[in-house]
Amino acid sequence: MEEKLVTLAHGAGGKQTAELIDSIFKSNFKSKNLTADDAAILNPPIGKMAFTTDGFIVSPFKFPGGNIGKLSICGTVNDLSCMGAKPMYLTVAFVIEEGFPLKDLEEIAQAMAKTADEAGVEIVAGDTKVAGKGQVDGVFITTTGVGQIMEGVDLSGAKAKDGDAIITTGDIGRHGCAILLSRDSYGLTADVKSDCAPLWNTIKSVLDTTKDIHVIRDATRGGVGTVLYEIAEQSQVGIHLDYAAIPVDDAVKGVCGMLGLDPLYLACEGTMVIFAPNDKAQAIVKTLNKGKYSKKAAIIGHVTNDMIAHVVVKTEIGTETLLPAPSGELLPRIC
Amino acid sequence: MLSKDIEKAKSIIMNYDGPPIKIMEVCGTHTHEIFKLGIRNILPNNINLISGPGCPVCVTPTEFIDEAIYLALEKNITICTFGDLIRVPGTSSSLGDARSKGANIQMVYSPLDSVEYAINHPEQQVVFLSVGFETTTPASCIAVRNAKNIELKNFSILGANKTMYQAYLALKDAADAYIYPGHVCTMTGMSELYKLRDEENVSGAVTGFSASEILSSLAYIISETQKNKPFVANLYPRVVTEEGLIKAKTLVENTMESCDSIWRGLGIIEKSGMKLKKEYIDYDARAKYDIPKIVGKPNKGCKCGEVLRGDIKPFECPLFSKGCTPEHPIGACMVSNEGACSAYYKYGENLWKKN
Amino acid sequence: MCVGLSARVDKIKNGMAVVDASGVKREISTELIENLYPGDYVMVHAGIAIAKISSTDEDEVNKIMETIKDAK
Repeated sequence: MEEKLVTLAHGAGGKQTAELIDSIFKSNFKSKNLTADDAAILNPPIGKMAFTTDGFIVSPFKFPGGNIGKLSICGTVNDLSCMGAKPMYLTVAFVIEEGFPLKDLEEIAQAMAKTADEAGVEIVAGDTKVAGKGQVDGVFITTTGVGQIMEGVDLSGAKAKDGDAIITTGDIGRHGCAILLSRDSYGLTADVKSDCAPLWNTIKSVLDTTKDIHVIRDATRGGVGTVLYEIAEQSQVGIHLDYAAIPVDDAVKGVCGMLGLDPLYLACEGTMVIFAPNDKAQAIVKTLNKGKYSKKAAIIGHVTNDMIAHVVVKTEIGTETLLPAPSGELLPRIC
Repeated sequence: MLSKDIEKAKSIIMNYDGPPIKIMEVCGTHTHEIFKLGIRNILPNNINLISGPGCPVCVTPTEFIDEAIYLALEKNITICTFGDLIRVPGTSSSLGDARSKGANIQMVYSPLDSVEYAINHPEQQVVFLSVGFETTTPASCIAVRNAKNIELKNFSILGANKTMYQAYLALKDAADAYIYPGHVCTMTGMSELYKLRDEENVSGAVTGFSASEILSSLAYIISETQKNKPFVANLYPRVVTEEGLIKAKTLVENTMESCDSIWRGLGIIEKSGMKLKKEYIDYDARAKYDIPKIVGKPNKGCKCGEVLRGDIKPFECPLFSKGCTPEHPIGACMVSNEGACSAYYKYGENLWKKN
Repeated sequence: MCVGLSARVDKIKNGMAVVDASGVKREISTELIENLYPGDYVMVHAGIAIAKISSTDEDEVNKIMETIKDAK
């Protein structure tokens, strides 16, 4: 049987567009609020709301541990979660390359529905465009989300304080590593799955333990290292890391060793960095260690009033050095 | 918990109170590890660690990048390269810039991968940028030999391979002792280092790359320097043998021959380069594509040469952090993660502020 | 220069081997190393084995520190 492909007609707004929407999107996105009109009519959140958007391009669109669909839901769910907001509504916009297999699109839509369901968020509106061959790489997705901020929670990247403990909710760098391996550029094989996961339930469990949390940030592009520099700058504090305490999967370490990369700068898609008062840290980690996506959570460092805007690493030999600040494209170091 | 040996080595280093010692780590990977391990931050003032010329990216001349960009943009050739070279500035742009203009630049882990790439893309002409010292050169030789064996027509290399011995000689007065590059010595063995000791009074220790290997080597050098007698030691015997890797030497001798070579910052060093022999001329991109003679123009303010020789510290260069940063490198030492300036910039901020 | 990583030889055939470094596998050339068998450790650089590794760095460092006798 010949493979069915997305054609320019699917994006022309006529009968074929309606067919595509019905067969792939409506059949998967089952929210009662999913609109057939020009905009969704919704009940607003109570109290304060969080509102965010994110675009997703990833090559390859499918990777161990997920695909671009799952990623696009996790990304926006996690951005809302970082502000202490329960994700309520999402919109999704697709730009699809002419010739993209319909069965792959179906797989992407299924992953989106499943992930949204798990995070308890409704997909309420969508858009589909088809671009000519070569104008986009497979499929690009943009998701926009609204969430309701939990009462008593006040999170911001500017709120890290002297004495705060720094926690990662899991082992770091797995998404970046999985993508690097899927691209097969360096002939390496390893069993590394992306950590891509919707973390609202994880964050909720933390906020149910204590509302006394200063910063939560999603360590996506740029990895944990980039987040730490952002927070050090935004909060005007110093950050001290205990390198040995940072949870890193062995295979991720192996890949980094071979290519001269630092896992602190590989992207995560299901790992957050949390800054909280030191006396709350143990309880938070204990809660996290029981969670589905945060079994490897650990305290990796603390905040100080010296070395403002810098990240200092305690090394394996007990000395201190700066963590190099993030810069540009990650390039393997070989020769 | 640190091992007793690491504690002892650290204590020898931190408590050294004898006459000033200058130690040069030749290898860029040592430079990188020494910064990453924070070893510079525990050195007493009378130990001066200098970062030498052992980063092939740093010493690769401007015109080499210009040649690669010429091939990529003017001849529409696919360039396969180690990621290290992507951001190195040529006279007016880098390979990264060329990629933005549509050049096909592929990052590879091994020269052998670029042969694979050529086999899998017969419609493209592929050139591998062959940089590196003794450690890396054999991989390029295997790639070229394999390509010749299967009469691969769309593969060649642009060579800038270098050997260390002449560089040691050129820098023999820059330091009291050298941390010799463990992986170069894997190939060369110990004989040329004995020669340097016996004929030139040059001292040093072949060193591995783990924290304990670097610390114990520093402790060893400090303790040997006190004896005021030239010394050479192989402190990496689990990997480096007396005779080196004979098969690698034979392979390289059969494939390449020595030539003069330009080191960015140091100028021409006689017989410090390697180029393909006549019988492999079809795989030499310079011969194959008739590349015009390109004279690179390095930035005049850049003091990479003095940094590589250990004459000045990176922060003493007028461009350091003022116009020349890892994001916008001007000199080669700022480009590579292993370059002295880049390492000072990224790891050493507290250090250079203090000094 | 010359980033090297130690890896265990898993399979070896005709001068090529699959090596494993903490679960990461890659095919490399081992034609420069003689008498190599599965289970041996090699130093890998740019896709080729550049040395067979004969002991751990702990043992090696222990010997180095033994030689620095006059140190306090």
